[in-house]
Amino acid sequence: MAFILLPLIEMMTAPSFTMLRETIKDKDVVRSIWLSVYTAGLAALIAFVFGTPLAYVLARNDFRGKKLVESIIDLPIVIPHPVVGIAILSVAGKNHWIGELIGQLGIRIMGSVAGIVVVLTFVGMPFYINTVKSGFESISPRLEKVSRSLGASMFSTFFRITFPLAWRSMLVGIVMCAARAISEFGAVVIVAYHPMIAPVMIYERFEAYGLKYSQPVAVWLVFICLTLFLVLRILTLHDREKT
Amino acid sequence: MKKKSRRRLFLAVLPVFALLAASLVIFPQTGAAKDQQLSGTLTMFHAGSLSVPLAAMEKAFESKYPGVDLQREAAGSQKCARKISDLGKPCDIMASADYKVIDKLLIPKYADWNVRFATNQLVLCYTDKSAYADTVNADNWHEILQKKDVVWGHSDPNLDPCGYRSLMVIQLAEKKLNKPGLYKQLIANRPKENIRPKSVELISLLQTGNMDYAWEYLSVAVQHGLKYIVLPDEINLGNYKYDDVYKNAFVEVTGKKPGTKMIIRGKSCTYGVTLIKNAPNRAAAIAFLEYMLDPEGGLRILKDMGQPPFVPCRVPTPEMKKALPAELQKLVEVKN
Repeated sequence: MAFILLPLIEMMTAPSFTMLRETIKDKDVVRSIWLSVYTAGLAALIAFVFGTPLAYVLARNDFRGKKLVESIIDLPIVIPHPVVGIAILSVAGKNHWIGELIGQLGIRIMGSVAGIVVVLTFVGMPFYINTVKSGFESISPRLEKVSRSLGASMFSTFFRITFPLAWRSMLVGIVMCAARAISEFGAVVIVAYHPMIAPVMIYERFEAYGLKYSQPVAVWLVFICLTLFLVLRILTLHDREKT
Repeated sequence: MKKKSRRRLFLAVLPVFALLAASLVIFPQTGAAKDQQLSGTLTMFHAGSLSVPLAAMEKAFESKYPGVDLQREAAGSQKCARKISDLGKPCDIMASADYKVIDKLLIPKYADWNVRFATNQLVLCYTDKSAYADTVNADNWHEILQKKDVVWGHSDPNLDPCGYRSLMVIQLAEKKLNKPGLYKQLIANRPKENIRPKSVELISLLQTGNMDYAWEYLSVAVQHGLKYIVLPDEINLGNYKYDDVYKNAFVEVTGKKPGTKMIIRGKSCTYGVTLIKNAPNRAAAIAFLEYMLDPEGGLRILKDMGQPPFVPCRVPTPEMKKALPAELQKLVEVKN
């Protein structure tokens, strides 16, 4: 515990209040923190939309090559972050047919919000899928079978039985995915230096001005993330008490 | 089997050691004795544009002194200095792509002297897949960089000397070509997204086809096998004889705190190297510098890789020459 807390507390308490106030008045700082929050949110949303069916399939079915699929999903966790960025850029460039195609569609990955979201989704997805998969696994398939045997379609079974039981794990998955996404730096800085997300700005401030001016930005980012996640947790806890 | 061969090796090495020991007794101050003593890790922070020649020097140096492990960290020159001054990271040697960074951020608190050892110049890099790759040349590059379908970039002027130098080259071109407004027109076609922290990062963007043209040092272009356009000496920031012309170009970069600015004026690209005062491995650091600043050692490698060295290396004042470790004094001259 001390190992985690000590350096963080040291960093959080280092900047003075005047510095903190000055920093949050800086439009660039606010913009970058907001960009961080909403790109991470978007990444979590994409993970929710595309990850949920995949997690469900993995939780409910056994098939040949399942282990392989699961390992592939875990890949983004083990790949060094800059490599993720380089990999995405090499696909997004004009020298690759995918890059050529999305270029013609007018989408730019390098140095764009779209690029940031792609990277954050890439690194956050495994956290969402794994969390939700174990959520689904903890729900007995018998409940679904009963529902199906009583005439409900697969879709309505999912939305009336599975979803109400699993939504909390989905929320946790979203929080995990967003948390992972908001902390990403190594891959993002390769794909998009500008527009600057907060971790990139912290790095830029550190390089251009030194520790003193990067710390307050870091403190604000940690503070805002902590509040957001705390609110989400409280919301879920609150519901649990009611039921 | 293994034991046997080890014993054989031992037997073979024994006479060598005996000889060495004997020579130690006879000539206690020989180089051989020094080579034996040097060991441990040697930490060096350096500009990204020195990565390739330093890798070659590292190899040569470590084979000469097998006990020493040279660990290099490449970053923008400013960042290297910040790591020492702000983070207090232990470091033995720091080499900057702009020798002024050492003067500004490290002397006098973290270093005593600053040796200028090589030069460089700015070139415009591209690949054969870049847009207009078959028509671009030293006369029309500024027209091509204004085309809407061309993506070009440079590194962050606030973090990397190569960044502000790229901007200076364009300013100098505006003056030389007598085309007022050229700088503004070019920058208007370079969205902020095309700026990267380090110039070396732009290369992967070129190679993956995410970018068409990038401003780089000549050395970087040579080492990465890129195509490049060489510009006249009056604008390429490579020849110190034109320092009077170069200083007409200036770029505003961020100052010591956010919101403040400071102006950097054009000057020829000159590399500087220094020994950090509380270097953890001072003896090995001096040995490395002795090799690096040797015209037959490191300087030759620099020459082969597109970074013309100063032979001999230069310090600005006689006082600074005196502040150098004795081993290095013979390798430098006083010249401003």
